Amino acid sequence: MSAPNDAPAGNGVTRRHFLRSSAAAAVSAALLSTGNYAFAQGSDRIRVGLIGCGGRGTGAAGDCANSAPNIEIWAMGDVFEDRLNGSREHLKGLGDKLKVTDERCFTGIDAYKHVLAQDIQLVILATPPGFRPVHFQAAIEAGKHVFMEKPVATDAPGIRAVLAAGDLATQKGLAVVAGTQRRHQNGYVATMRRIHDGAIGDLVGAQVYWNGGGVGNGTGEFTENDATLEWQIRHWYYLTWLCGDHIVEQHVHNIDVANWAFGAHPVSAMGVGGRAQRTAPVYGQIFDHFAIDFEYPNGVRVMSMCRHWDNTPSNVSERVVGTRGVSDCSSNIWGATPWRYQGQGNNPYVTEHTDLVNSIRAGKPLNEARAVAESTLSAIMGRMAAYTGQVVTWDEALNSKESLMPAVDDLKRVLGVPPVAVPGKTQLT
Amino acid sequence: MKRLISAQGRLAAACAAAATLLAATAMPIPAQDAPTGSPKSYVEAVPDTTVKLAMIAVPGGVITIKRTGKNAVSQAVTIKPFWIEQTELTWDAFDPYAFPLAASGPAPKAGADAVSRPSRPYIPADLGWGHKGFPVINVTYHTGQQYCAWLSAKTGKKYRLPTEAEWEWAARAGVKGSPKTTTAQLQKVAWYAANSKGQTQPAGRKAPNAWGIHDMLGNAGEWCTGLDGKPVLCGGTYDDPAARILFGTRAWQTPDWNATDPQIPKSKWWLADGSFAGFRVLREP
Repeated sequence: MSAPNDAPAGNGVTRRHFLRSSAAAAVSAALLSTGNYAFAQGSDRIRVGLIGCGGRGTGAAGDCANSAPNIEIWAMGDVFEDRLNGSREHLKGLGDKLKVTDERCFTGIDAYKHVLAQDIQLVILATPPGFRPVHFQAAIEAGKHVFMEKPVATDAPGIRAVLAAGDLATQKGLAVVAGTQRRHQNGYVATMRRIHDGAIGDLVGAQVYWNGGGVGNGTGEFTENDATLEWQIRHWYYLTWLCGDHIVEQHVHNIDVANWAFGAHPVSAMGVGGRAQRTAPVYGQIFDHFAIDFEYPNGVRVMSMCRHWDNTPSNVSERVVGTRGVSDCSSNIWGATPWRYQGQGNNPYVTEHTDLVNSIRAGKPLNEARAVAESTLSAIMGRMAAYTGQVVTWDEALNSKESLMPAVDDLKRVLGVPPVAVPGKTQLT
Repeated sequence: MKRLISAQGRLAAACAAAATLLAATAMPIPAQDAPTGSPKSYVEAVPDTTVKLAMIAVPGGVITIKRTGKNAVSQAVTIKPFWIEQTELTWDAFDPYAFPLAASGPAPKAGADAVSRPSRPYIPADLGWGHKGFPVINVTYHTGQQYCAWLSAKTGKKYRLPTEAEWEWAARAGVKGSPKTTTAQLQKVAWYAANSKGQTQPAGRKAPNAWGIHDMLGNAGEWCTGLDGKPVLCGGTYDDPAARILFGTRAWQTPDWNATDPQIPKSKWWLADGSFAGFRVLREP
């Protein structure tokens, strides 16, 4: 009979696989090891407020609470009571790290204001992205450190607000970390360091992809009269004002890696997009595919492709091309000096909070606001190019007057769904 | 019987060729139990879909499952004849269940055809490794069960996940005990750490076992119902060293298998860190 082996399967290192299986174990071990909290003091408790209690917000609260010692989840807010209650129930798993009371739970459109008024030092912003600029601005004005999920806006006015609030955070000594977690993933950090040190020579191009299968399904019958503010917020992925479209909401990760590699944002974008699979009205106004040709400084071009198509192969990756080699930015370099990351894996969803908390406690606050705002605007510029069919420059994108945000007032008000963009007809304003 | 001999013949020839290099550790191929008295193999064409599943007839018998250590067990199990899928379940066979194309409208509601469908995976579930012809990965035992429920509803037949005893019986295909295997023999039949290039490979490319079943060892691990009634992953994976590519290899899910699912609650359908977890279906007579 075969000898038994109780070890879990699959703890090898695999390409594009970022030490998945061993990552969590490694993280747990790393978090428990000494020296990881060089800056942690016994008395520097951090109280955390959560704004946006969906799956990711709840996950981020858990990751934050588990990222370092002496962190408490203190207050919660969401537009919808059912979302807040569900989230609070799941967070009970945190035990005594969950210090939320009934009095510190807030619902409704203004819930964020009440959370920010509590005695918290750090706030997690995890609502649909359209609300992020308003919430981020309010959080910095209230003097809170911030963890905010990507993307950080859906239109140019939102980006300008985030950039201004990011500068204010610097003045106030507040820390800001964003959910572009690849920047906190060991393999990426080590590989990017080598790329920046010249391991693949001068960077001459890149390809970035988020080809996957979409998020959630349309639900049931749908007519325009169903498109109340509440329905839209609950189905936020299918509205550009809330989600930014999937090039902004998901593909921002890969575009962010390109910006990180080049140390720059694109100067213009030209591209195509449309709806091939997701054509029914219940899928709102967003596209299900984009392909964008980004131009970076010095004539460097980056090909970006993203799609939400079922029953097709996935590809979520980056590839940067240099004069002396090629890298996947995450663990491999091929070419003149081949190299592979063989170090410890980590769970970047936890590490991003560890890095944030450590920077606060060290008095050296990280501030990722500008980087994530620029990556978000890069993606918005790509969307603008595909929606209009025109070449869109960075300055046009940044200075666009087009505000996508409706008045957020009565949840029962029927907003209707904005029309699907038609290239050549849709105008950039 | 014919297939058995020819498969054995090919394997023996390959072993003979390799023997000059890898001399002494090779053992003679054990005598096989011929799959007599079992029903015929067939191809299941699932109505209203493009799904076709090759099902191999497996005879009944008795197998003793023995383990020492933490999950120790020693149990003789009587196996009734069954059919088992010739390969691990592929995305081609899974997509029409999980993601019926919704171009003309929303996906059917859960329960519309008496089955529940997976949520959307947070990660690209095929990891970019390949889709058409590749085994389903990153799935939970629950997903395997629900797929079988869908398949049963579609076909009117009794499909389910194998028990670990049935799985091992089919994997052994008559092989008794723990025969030593040469590297060359292993390379012929299994994708594992030494030859997989760090990812799953298309199903059915390696040589089948004596009963015509592919990839029981290595490639995607396969969800089964354990002797204790709980989920267990059988047969080792593309990521395992040769020492784990064994009929008796088992793995039990830990939180690590879904550590980087950033959502709470974590998915009950998908394993963000379970690139080695797939399944194949079994049909009861």
